Amino acid sequence: MAAASSSDSDSCTAESEASSKWLDAHYDPVANIHTFSACMALADLHGDGEYKLVVGDLGPGGRQSHLKVLKGYSVLSDSPLPALPAAAATFLMDQHNPGTPVLALALGPCVYVYKNLTPYFKFSLPQLPLNTLEQDLWNQAKEDRIDPLTLKEMLESIREKAEVPLSVQSLRFLQLELSEMEAFVNQHKSKGIKRQTVITTMTTLKKNLADKDAVSCLVVGTENKELLVLDPEAFVILATMSLPSVPVFLEVSGQFNIEFRLAAACRNGNIYILRRDSKSPKYCIELNAQPVGLVRVHEVLVVGSTQDSLHGFTHKGKRLWTVQMPAAILTMNLLEQPSRGLQAVMAGLANREVRIYHNKALLNVIRTPDAVTSLCFGRYGHEDNTLIMTMRGGGLMIKILKRTAVFVEGVGEVGPPSAQGTRLNVPRKTRLYVDQTLREREAGTAMHRTFQTDLYLLRLRAARAYVQALESSLSPVSATAREPLKLHAVVQGLGPTFKLTLHLQNTSAARPILGLLVCFLYNEVLYALPRAFFKVPLLVPGLSYPLETFVESLSDKGSSDMIKVLVLREGQSAPLLSAHINMPVSEGLVTA
Amino acid sequence: MTSGRAAVGGAKMAEERLATRRTPLPSAKSQKPWLKKAAEFPILEKQNWLIHLHYIRKDYEACKAVIKEQLQETQGLCEYAIYVQALIFRLEGNIQESLELFQRCAILNPQCADNLKQVARSLFLLGKHKAASEVYTEAAKLDQKDWEICHNLGICYIYMKQFSKAQDQLHQALQLNRHVLTYIMLGKIHLLAGDLDKAIKVYKTAVEFSPENTELLTTLGLLYLQLGIHKKAFEHLGNALTYDPTNYKAILAAGSMMQTHGDFDVALTKYRVVACAVPESPPLWNNIGLCFFGKKKYVAAISCLKRANYLAPFDWKILYNLGLVHLTMQQYASAFHFLSAAITFQPKMGELYMLLAVTLTNLEDVENAKRVYAAAVRLDKCNPLVNLNYAILLYMQGERGAALAQCQEMEEKVRLLRDNSSLEFDSEMVEMAQKLRAALQVGEALVWTKQVEDPKSKHQTPSTSKAASFQQSLGSNQALGQAMSSAATHRKLPSDPAQGDSPGSQASGLGAKVCSRLTGIPGGYLLLISASNAVLCLA
Repeated sequence: MAAASSSDSDSCTAESEASSKWLDAHYDPVANIHTFSACMALADLHGDGEYKLVVGDLGPGGRQSHLKVLKGYSVLSDSPLPALPAAAATFLMDQHNPGTPVLALALGPCVYVYKNLTPYFKFSLPQLPLNTLEQDLWNQAKEDRIDPLTLKEMLESIREKAEVPLSVQSLRFLQLELSEMEAFVNQHKSKGIKRQTVITTMTTLKKNLADKDAVSCLVVGTENKELLVLDPEAFVILATMSLPSVPVFLEVSGQFNIEFRLAAACRNGNIYILRRDSKSPKYCIELNAQPVGLVRVHEVLVVGSTQDSLHGFTHKGKRLWTVQMPAAILTMNLLEQPSRGLQAVMAGLANREVRIYHNKALLNVIRTPDAVTSLCFGRYGHEDNTLIMTMRGGGLMIKILKRTAVFVEGVGEVGPPSAQGTRLNVPRKTRLYVDQTLREREAGTAMHRTFQTDLYLLRLRAARAYVQALESSLSPVSATAREPLKLHAVVQGLGPTFKLTLHLQNTSAARPILGLLVCFLYNEVLYALPRAFFKVPLLVPGLSYPLETFVESLSDKGSSDMIKVLVLREGQSAPLLSAHINMPVSEGLVTA
Repeated sequence: MTSGRAAVGGAKMAEERLATRRTPLPSAKSQKPWLKKAAEFPILEKQNWLIHLHYIRKDYEACKAVIKEQLQETQGLCEYAIYVQALIFRLEGNIQESLELFQRCAILNPQCADNLKQVARSLFLLGKHKAASEVYTEAAKLDQKDWEICHNLGICYIYMKQFSKAQDQLHQALQLNRHVLTYIMLGKIHLLAGDLDKAIKVYKTAVEFSPENTELLTTLGLLYLQLGIHKKAFEHLGNALTYDPTNYKAILAAGSMMQTHGDFDVALTKYRVVACAVPESPPLWNNIGLCFFGKKKYVAAISCLKRANYLAPFDWKILYNLGLVHLTMQQYASAFHFLSAAITFQPKMGELYMLLAVTLTNLEDVENAKRVYAAAVRLDKCNPLVNLNYAILLYMQGERGAALAQCQEMEEKVRLLRDNSSLEFDSEMVEMAQKLRAALQVGEALVWTKQVEDPKSKHQTPSTSKAASFQQSLGSNQALGQAMSSAATHRKLPSDPAQGDSPGSQASGLGAKVCSRLTGIPGGYLLLISASNAVLCLA
């Protein structure tokens, strides 16, 4: 297998082929495998010493799910599945037939067991207990002793209060319109109601012995927040444990009949740790984020969280360390190299890297052409240390760890950050600046004085202009106590006729203003207005009144002038406010 | 078929059923009854696990597709699908939509505290803190042992400015389960209330609980810095940098501490890291500018300070520093503008007025200088320099009486300072003061000499009432601006470019020509991201 690697090694990893710890065995970007790490398993399914890869494939877009078995680079078998696989596990079922593990697939509420890759047994989760009241109600409905409306009311009250949730049938019924109820009851009353749950995760737990080829139990996590331990031979439930939330990932150590520890990462962001004698969680780790993977390395529980970090915890839930990742973690799995006694965590990241950590120390980084969504390490074919990765786009990549490769800690960033070496980007100063500096030193006082004088002159002129404006009410805003007004003028049109719109607004809080006049002052040679003087209607506070008038340009020389608008109070000669409107040149005449 | 839970010997029974065909696996025969059931009433939670796996992988597109399918199949009854859809909406910023969906979840499953928690969270994000707190209280009734409810309720109370209630809730959260976040919020409440000691206590326990959390370490370091406990501050900041060598706040704080001790090169190396990470930080460029100032590279200092000023035009500390550097460069006209701008933003600081007065003196505007000095003396409570400089100006103008009065006020301040802290006065300032005394023919000053005899005590910032978010180093005055009150020396100035660097020696050179120059302008202000600035950045 290693020999064949050179032929289809990928270009993207070729750069560091020599220094890499990995041999590129196989890369198929269109293998069309979409799965999770939990649905991959490596096992010697036929007992012939050749390890195969079992993949519970969800299919593109989570549709046609398949069970794929790969041997070498080729697909050995590919069979459709009736539902999406949640987890796959291989384990030894009985002592009488050592060496050939069976395969268990969790699909919906069932576990399918395959022996020699042939369907062998199907285990269904037991029905959940029903609400007795609900059952009574449906029994009554069956005998037509209850009308649909009462049924609905009763069910509604059960739903709100009862501990045991309703069955799907009842929930559906509650959603119906009045008209549909009758038919629904008639159609379904004869059937009993059922409550069924779904398997969310599954793993194996050695039953009596810790040996590699000892019999294992199946541990199944369900949607109704329970963990079940199944006997491998008889498929009876050996133990039931309840959790506060739905389990997503499971990690088990120990033996069922002696002592075991179970860690369950749950949907509420917590990880619960249970032991053999406990029916409910003994310790709880609160992550503040969703766990994306759970791996046990020796005695340390390594958890990846949605906050892009890896955390290490003791089996009692004490936090040991935290490592920040450069990108979101997509999947995690265990890397175990028994020959060197190495256990490490592999994490597939969204930035197309697979990082391998031993505790806090980064051991290796593998760059991949696509984001890795599931990882699996172990014996494949005849090769002991094989890494199997599937990509987001459905690709499959197989790498083999070189036999000479030794992982050394401290590959990652040590010492001062690289940024410390870069020079500071200090802005440069020009020659001109330096010259000006020298000039300022020589003539600082004079510069200062000139500046101050000019500043005072400027202020003086501004003040004068302001006073003048105030005196002649030139400003468009009048701030007198009696007539707070605002004026704003707009000229529209190309000429020779323009439309002049004055927007007059009373800015006082409550008082309306009456008895205002508007007067236009203009050069009568240049412009003609229909009315140069008119009364303003009553001004209600806050509203803007548009006062329109037409202006005819009389000049044919393209000259323009200023029109002054004065707002006056009846009986007063001084204007309240005024506006100077610079009229545009009449384009109509210019072109004509 | 459903009784697949076959008891003992079930293996053989099953074999009869399934083993008839090899592959394809679960045969069509076994598939049928399963499908039939599914067609009638699919299990509501059938694909919850898949939704969840897509969700935690942040593969939201795939997640939405599954949710849509699931909701269609169950006619909108699948609570978890709606729940995740709402979570995704919230992540995408559609908080109102997420709120509506969470409310739908709460209707589907009214007994679940988590749904209520999420409703409250969305309300919180919408800024409806009161409504959020009510829903949290409701949720707390369903689940009494959830630290998250208590914690978030506490944060709601912080926003509603009910600090004591907030504290109660946060303490309760800590009792249920200890989380770093809760400690941080509790510390912030104490900071908001201005209670540094309590805040430090909280952060100390937090650091004990989580010794590798850089945010906690940095905050604690900054708090110690505010209190002037430099050793502990440096220890915590150093720890923070060990765990995260690129921590912006910690580098800035540690760098400014190095700067106060004169380690400009080390500080500059540290700043390089920040310059890469946060190149547009005004405090960073201010501190770099002051590093260059300390190294007497004035042009570089001005460049950096001007960049800082460009980035934060309303920060008076940067303007102050710019004024100071320009004063040192004898660019008095520019210094005048920077200082008067600084005064516009910070009109209550005596030292600023003093610098302006020194500038005005150099611009030969004695009248205004006197006025500004008067303002400076009125505002300043503890800096003897202000009085000294004023006294010198008055003396030069021949107003001996007024100069004497200033001199006495200065001695008053010196005495006060000496009693309160082990501050070491700048030797140059002392010398100048003594010369002035001699000129004014007052008896030999005892105030200073005692101080000079004091064993070399550590430089410490005076424990003034000023907010310690900036460093004020009175005595350790590496960078001396200089001011000339004597017209005689002033005339000499342009011919002697080296003067700016060694004002002290110049002064002594003048000998009998009574203290012609004043020195001792306080060193520049270093900026840190102060702990109190960071208040209320909620998760």
